[in-house]
Amino acid sequence: MAWKTIDRISPAVDADAEPVLSKAVKAKIRSFFDRYETKRAALLPALHVVQDASGSISWQAMVEIAELLEIHPSDVIDTISFYTHFWTRPKGRKVITVCRSLTCEVMGGVAVLEELKRQLGIDEHETTPDGKYSLVTEECLAGCDHGPCLLVNEKLHKRVGPQDVARILADADNDRIAFERSDLFDAPRDKVVTGAAAQEDGAHRSTSKDQEKRRAD
Amino acid sequence: MPRIIIDNRQIECREGIPVLQAALEAGLDVPHYCYHPSLSVVASCRLCLMQMKMPHPKTQEMVWSPKLVPSCQTPVRDGMEVRFKSEAVAKNQKACMEFFLLNHPLDCPVCDQAGECYLQDYSYHFGDAESRMVDQKLVNPKKDIGPGTLLYQDRCVMCTRCVRFIGEISGTHELCMVHRGSRTEIDVFPGLPLDNPLQGNVVDVCPVGSMLDKDFLFKRRVWELSGTPSICPGCATGCSIRIDHADNRVCRLKPRFNPKVNDRWMCDEGRFGFKYIHEANRIASPIVRRGLEQTTPSWEQLPEIVRFRFQEHVRRNGAEKVVAVLSPFMTCEEGWLLIRFIRTIAPEAALVMGPVPLEGEDQYFPVGATSKAVKFTILAEKCPNRRGIEMLLKAAGGTTLTFGEFVEQSGKGEFSSAWVVGGYAKPWIDKATAKIAANIELLVVQDIFESGLVAGAAIVLPARAWVEREGSFVNTAGLVQPFERAIAPPDGGRYDGQYLFEIAGYEGLFSAGRVREMMAESISAFREIYEAPVLPAHTH
Repeated sequence: MAWKTIDRISPAVDADAEPVLSKAVKAKIRSFFDRYETKRAALLPALHVVQDASGSISWQAMVEIAELLEIHPSDVIDTISFYTHFWTRPKGRKVITVCRSLTCEVMGGVAVLEELKRQLGIDEHETTPDGKYSLVTEECLAGCDHGPCLLVNEKLHKRVGPQDVARILADADNDRIAFERSDLFDAPRDKVVTGAAAQEDGAHRSTSKDQEKRRAD
Repeated sequence: MPRIIIDNRQIECREGIPVLQAALEAGLDVPHYCYHPSLSVVASCRLCLMQMKMPHPKTQEMVWSPKLVPSCQTPVRDGMEVRFKSEAVAKNQKACMEFFLLNHPLDCPVCDQAGECYLQDYSYHFGDAESRMVDQKLVNPKKDIGPGTLLYQDRCVMCTRCVRFIGEISGTHELCMVHRGSRTEIDVFPGLPLDNPLQGNVVDVCPVGSMLDKDFLFKRRVWELSGTPSICPGCATGCSIRIDHADNRVCRLKPRFNPKVNDRWMCDEGRFGFKYIHEANRIASPIVRRGLEQTTPSWEQLPEIVRFRFQEHVRRNGAEKVVAVLSPFMTCEEGWLLIRFIRTIAPEAALVMGPVPLEGEDQYFPVGATSKAVKFTILAEKCPNRRGIEMLLKAAGGTTLTFGEFVEQSGKGEFSSAWVVGGYAKPWIDKATAKIAANIELLVVQDIFESGLVAGAAIVLPARAWVEREGSFVNTAGLVQPFERAIAPPDGGRYDGQYLFEIAGYEGLFSAGRVREMMAESISAFREIYEAPVLPAHTH
């Protein structure tokens, strides 16, 4: 070819690669089929489940999801790449999302981000070598009245200053959320699935057991 | 029929079409990228925005709406009034064009689309000559997305026509949009390239130079090309096409709008299947053999020689020993002239329908569509005019044989003179059949390539490729579709219609239209021909 081009013809997955989606994950995805008119409509729930199970969605996983939903794999990458929530490469056990919208920036969000970068030793969209944290920025986290804000997984930290960064990072429970959350889009928990073991040792989730404990307290 | 007012001009338009389509059909040049009449409407390019008169919420008086509305998404309604010629509309067009060109590399000098590019045209007519962009342009990659197509993401305007085509017409879904906003790109899933029988159409639907045909890449500037309307001979569907040629060579084929047959599409098999016409081993000039002597007669001498040789045989062996094999690659006019010649010389002569090439199965698109939703068909019958020749044979009456019967009877020595027409793009005759045919004393072979037949032929006539002929094909739906001559035969000599015209005893220049008139006198089916409507100037 006359130009330097990116090769999109060579496959990203081996034809004889081992499947990455466990039976439990597939069953969970299938459980969404009844909710919608088409299987294709279950794509977003499926992506949530797979990302929760494996931490990210690999090319191989995309092919398997496409097969399951009877759509073309290109439709899967189309959707995945639209949402910044979905990861196509391995992410850290905890994702720190710093708000880069106007209000947080005015309130000093950039300083928080810089401090995070310094303490974690990584840049945006990078993961620490120990695989503990990934750092990203995002538009509005819907906490404009408490800026600057950041998220650790699903936990929103409000009014964060650069001086708070060390404390947040040191806190092992920095992603524990205080209210009940739905596990509708979570991967099935009872069975260990690929990559989920790594996910579970660091990331606390507010399970119903936690809830009961908190209520008892 | 709804009547609407566009720019103070009352027009009548078809029911249920978008205002944009009505405006285009009325001859207006309304800029648009994402709107395509054969695809779903997404209203994403925002270039076709118009002003519409709406009732004022308080006074109910009809006033121009302050907000612009997309004309591609607004269906026509009787009595509506819209305008494209207003300051607000022009301002929007300028702003949109500035956005479209924000990251455009402005590489028209090396771009294949230059000359037929709607970024160029709209920028010239509706845009501003200057860009206020001071930042670095985003540089997007060039992607090799399939065996036939190259994607130059830098030039893309994200109209998503290609993605919609692949989803809605071919139904193969290889293309997708990745990322979002200003960083959106067209892409394929790596390893699942754009590779389907209709993929060439994405290059046609692309209004800019983003989708590039690898086959045509860097071959020609488009303003050097001349376009001739034609019919694809690839299969019995008979798609309307345009032959783009320069310097007596065909450079590319493009589909032509035909609402009854192919809409705006054509398949890759037809699109790239013309290459054989420029092969060097084509039969170039007529050859006449008598015993061991071989001569190349002039075109002027040829009709006399052919007539004389046939008359000689009829006198010696009788009229029932004459046979003509017609090819489904012949035009109706050529078939008629040949039948006329053969039946004049030998009224009892047998007529044969040549072999009809069948390959694979019929393919329907979108893939997996039920019969009602079929938008494009590629037929297994890989010849353009079986129906036409059959109509002629039926009208001619007398003895008609299948090709199998012809071979069988030739083997028994039933025929002493035969006129066999080939013209197939691919080898069509096996050695055994050629050997049998070689026993026919006077074998006239009219073919495009040297086959086993040529060696044993008394007279060899060069059949021309369809681009070098004019006439009509009858497609599978029974439409008589005429086509024009695009280029001259490689040797500059006469083409089938012309020499058959002379051999059949007519004088002067062959004109397919005139021959069709003569045919129509006896065969009513040829009274009506179907020519696809020409699209309004500014549609694309």
